[in-house]
Amino acid sequence: MIEQYLIHLLILIGIYLILAISLQISIGFTGMLNLGHVAFYAIGAYTSALLVLNGFPFWLAFLSAGILGMIFGHVLSLPIKKLKGDYLALATMGFSFVVYAVLLNWTELTRGPLGIPGIPKPSVFGINLSSNLAFLILTLIICIACYFLIRRIVHSPFGRVLESVRDDELASKILGKNTSKVKSISLMISAFFAGLAGSLYAHYITYIDPSSFTIMQLIPVLCIVIIGGLASLRGTLIATGIIVLLPEPLRFIGFPSSMIGPMRQIIYALLLLLILLYRPKGIYGKVEIE
Amino acid sequence: MMSIASQILFNSVIAGSIYALVALGFSLIYNTCKFVNFAHGSVIAFSAYMAYFFFSVLGVDFGFSVLFALILASLLGWAMNFFVYREFRERKASSSILLIASFGLLILIESLVLMSFGADVKTINYIRVSKGLEIFGAIITPLQIVIVASSIVVSIGLFLFMKKTKLGKAMRAVSNNKDVAEIVGISSEKIYSWSFIIGSLIAGIAGVLIGLEQNLEPTMGTNLIIKGFTAAIIGGIGNVYGAILGALLLGLAENFGIWYLPSGYKDAIAFAILFVFLLFRPKGLFGAKKEGDKE
Repeated sequence: MIEQYLIHLLILIGIYLILAISLQISIGFTGMLNLGHVAFYAIGAYTSALLVLNGFPFWLAFLSAGILGMIFGHVLSLPIKKLKGDYLALATMGFSFVVYAVLLNWTELTRGPLGIPGIPKPSVFGINLSSNLAFLILTLIICIACYFLIRRIVHSPFGRVLESVRDDELASKILGKNTSKVKSISLMISAFFAGLAGSLYAHYITYIDPSSFTIMQLIPVLCIVIIGGLASLRGTLIATGIIVLLPEPLRFIGFPSSMIGPMRQIIYALLLLLILLYRPKGIYGKVEIE
Repeated sequence: MMSIASQILFNSVIAGSIYALVALGFSLIYNTCKFVNFAHGSVIAFSAYMAYFFFSVLGVDFGFSVLFALILASLLGWAMNFFVYREFRERKASSSILLIASFGLLILIESLVLMSFGADVKTINYIRVSKGLEIFGAIITPLQIVIVASSIVVSIGLFLFMKKTKLGKAMRAVSNNKDVAEIVGISSEKIYSWSFIIGSLIAGIAGVLIGLEQNLEPTMGTNLIIKGFTAAIIGGIGNVYGAILGALLLGLAENFGIWYLPSGYKDAIAFAILFVFLLFRPKGLFGAKKEGDKE
């Protein structure tokens, strides 16, 4: 029993880690206050679930989830190219509401509020991963791969361009960088990994509905990014553990289960406010939010 | 056909009036304090729940219930500014940090409301199913007339307040140029406090009216604040009165939009309009020129 619980927590940490480091690319490394990240997560989850239920193999659905997320990342980057600060934050948040409204209303495809039940656990190249332990191993492999891939990206010359856009967009324009293209690519990479995280989530929980992808879901991820520190992957790793584990004791002190959800949100919201107030750079952050 | 069109038109005006109230308070705070206060949405929800609490739970007289709800809403706005945003300003936090903080505050207050009142839908049963009046083939309830009238009264009241009173002028001065305003002896902190009090009072009025017209849900504020923000963007974010027109346009677009689309897409229409404006005209219809340079 306790093993199963630990495995569950580790899988959640894995999924949140992918989600958070992908958000780090846009907020931390490129300095775009992207509040629409949950939309890509949702797109990934629905793409993967629908493809697998229609007979496609898991690995293909998993990759498609990332790629479709990336395509939508590109679509979103078109209107918001020139926006900054508050406007950018609100436009991306608006995008997340549009995606939510479509998931809720396009009932022929998504079954609307009924959600999609019975998403099969993945099987990769004939190996069935229906036990949670097997799923944990899969999550860990994907998670580690994503982590090092993103680390590679942000430490590459392209990663330095991203940081230059964050620190001084005008200067990097003067140096001949096409900053709106750079920002678009950054959003696409970010959306790609969020889509992958969505796919993992869908196949782990095996049931998805639009309510799993509201703006509320952004709070823990945003918390992780800010607590870990902008542009710090190591900090993100630590913060993911903290954020996922912190509300868990609530389960054991006899809290009624209907209260756990809002209580968790309260903890995250308070944590977010406190960290912004007293340590806006987070644990290992190098920069503050402009 | 004619009656459908006039009914939709009336519905648009009613929705527009509600959005205008949301947008007015939001714009007032945005203009003086220069950051997006998401938590404004939670003040709306809070005030609706307070009216419900006093009237339907405690059984207080309706007039007093509304009065208490409005006072508490103003107080909440003031407290948010005094205990949270002021601390951020003292640490020279950027407007993006304030935006994230206000988002945190929105979730915090919403969750507290959810914990205190539960997730199930509540109704303030003050006006039981009332018979609508028929005007040009459209049916409009007395409450809806009250909504439209309140929205007009509040807009005119705010206009006179900003133009005629000393406090209103000081607010415009701080909104225009905070440093110069301070040189002539206006305390900007005091003005911030007042704009939160007045903005939240307007949010409180919006909350009570929405609470009477629709059902109460803890998350009602999030959706409304996006609508209010969209209205403010359409009208031009530096322009409080543009927000009123923006709100009416938003109401029209939504209500005529769902003539063709399933009604669930109502919210998506608002965000689609938000996108179109951000894309082609981020200054809005009547936005002041300098607003674009502020970023």
